[in-house]
Amino acid sequence: MPELERDAGRLTFKLVYYGPAQGGKTTNLMQLHDLVGAEMKGELMTLETQHDRTLFFDLLPLGFRAPSGLTIRFRLFTVPGQVAHDGTRKAVLSRADGVVFVADSQRTEATNNGESFQNLVENLGRVGLDLEHLPIVVQFNKRDLPSILSEDEVRERYEGAPWPLVFASAISGSGVVQTFRVLLQGVWRQFASELELDTVHGLDEAAFLRAALGEAR
Amino acid sequence: MSGEAGFDREFVLGELIAARDADELCAQLTPVLGAPVALLDATGAPFGAAAEPPGAIRAPLVLELEPLAYLACACDAAALKAAARVVRWGLLSRARFRMVSDLHLEAVRADYAKLQQQNEALRASEAKYRELAEALDAKVKEQVRIIDERQRQLYQAERLASIGQLAAGVAHEINNPLGFVTSNLSSAERYLAQLEALREYVPAERWKTADMDFVLEDFAELISDSQQGVARIARIVRDLKGFSSVDKPDVQLANLNEHLESLFAVIAGQKPAGVTLESELGPLPPLTCLPGHLNQAFLNILQNALQAVDQHGTVTLRSCATDTHIIVQIDDDGPGIAAEVLPHIFDPFYTTRGVGGGTGLGLTVARDVVLTHGGTITADNRPEGGARFTVELPL
Repeated sequence: MPELERDAGRLTFKLVYYGPAQGGKTTNLMQLHDLVGAEMKGELMTLETQHDRTLFFDLLPLGFRAPSGLTIRFRLFTVPGQVAHDGTRKAVLSRADGVVFVADSQRTEATNNGESFQNLVENLGRVGLDLEHLPIVVQFNKRDLPSILSEDEVRERYEGAPWPLVFASAISGSGVVQTFRVLLQGVWRQFASELELDTVHGLDEAAFLRAALGEAR
Repeated sequence: MSGEAGFDREFVLGELIAARDADELCAQLTPVLGAPVALLDATGAPFGAAAEPPGAIRAPLVLELEPLAYLACACDAAALKAAARVVRWGLLSRARFRMVSDLHLEAVRADYAKLQQQNEALRASEAKYRELAEALDAKVKEQVRIIDERQRQLYQAERLASIGQLAAGVAHEINNPLGFVTSNLSSAERYLAQLEALREYVPAERWKTADMDFVLEDFAELISDSQQGVARIARIVRDLKGFSSVDKPDVQLANLNEHLESLFAVIAGQKPAGVTLESELGPLPPLTCLPGHLNQAFLNILQNALQAVDQHGTVTLRSCATDTHIIVQIDDDGPGIAAEVLPHIFDPFYTTRGVGGGTGLGLTVARDVVLTHGGTITADNRPEGGARFTVELPL
């Protein structure tokens, strides 16, 4: 559930980029930082890394002010992908309001994707989040590499899964904003009526997306 | 959610710097900027001792999106901004450190809780398996014991069966000739009377010379003796059949005294002359049992007693009934049972007799039979000397 501080006039969404090790989660945030033109944009905070691998998490704050005056903030986190850091991954995942699952498109990574998604499902259960209602987007990253699963193969495999699929190449930035947009859509649809975004704060779905992504009207 | 101090909460100024450190920071910055410096919190209120100097301008300190604090000083704006960047850098480092350490703590706690759960589960399963292993050991022992017992019962049953077959065969074979011998003796008795009737036709002289009076008299006596002998053979055959119960192999309601009597008749023939057999049989209610097997058990105990008294002594068989049990006692006045023998007396193949003297199975078989009937058997030494075996059979 997003954190609403009525006194401070702030609403904060916690969004988590999950997925197998070295799948491009941090790269997604780095590209978002450059590509998104949101009204408020913080620095990408990268905690300690080891050989280019995230040990704790990365944090990218984004935000805008709603017509009602409410400050809406998004705090985008990445989790450490390595299997060993499950405790940290679980702690980062807790209190999430939306999840991007960054899968690696390479054929050799299919097993890691599956295990990581299984781990996501287990950890959601452990931190008390409901897989049915949590907005989740599956991003197939690294479309620029050779020997990857074709889009048709991916669609075939994910046929029947309820989550939207986005193809991306985070290293070049393609599909990164689209992924974030689809997640924001899911977040708006999940929480809009509860938080009175449309009725009280003047944010219909289109306005919400426009403001969050910093796109011109 | 805000109530929980999650690693991902947004920090307030007080969490990142102590008031004393803020004072030190302001004091150090004052000569750098050339005017008094104050640190204000997110609401603009002074943090620490230094109040906002008059005419000061504010430089925001932003960690994420919104100002966490302000640096206030009446000085050049560019210089203040530069100083604010340095201070922000310090606060950001503090914030990162706090986030990582809180996250680490959260993860460690979660891992520890998980480990504890696993440990408990492990302990539970270990206990379960230990229990299983112990139960298994006991079960194996119990099975071995049962197999052992079944084997002895089988041995016993086969032995009984062969005795029974032998007895049946012998009884059959003997009964036939016994029948015509009995019948012939009766005929002979009748013929003797006819012979005696010839006396008046034989000259007295010839009669006397042939000593016919004595012959006839002795003849009658011979026949009578033979008849008695035949009757005895018939009775032995009957006892043998009764003892082996060959014609009634199943569970039945039996009067134990009848069986004990026929048993006595069987062993009476085996005992040495110097041994006295005594029986004191009290009235018994009928008992549901396998009479053939019980006979074998009592025979084994009696034979043990006979062997104990050797050539001279007394063996006493006693029976009585309580409300719940039939009690049979077999006493002898032999040397009694040695203390080191007593604990093993019912063990299979344990024997004090020399090779060929006994199989070491007699009393074992007796015990097994009694146990099969749900009863108990005990061996003791009598205070007046000799041994006593007591069998209790539940009604």
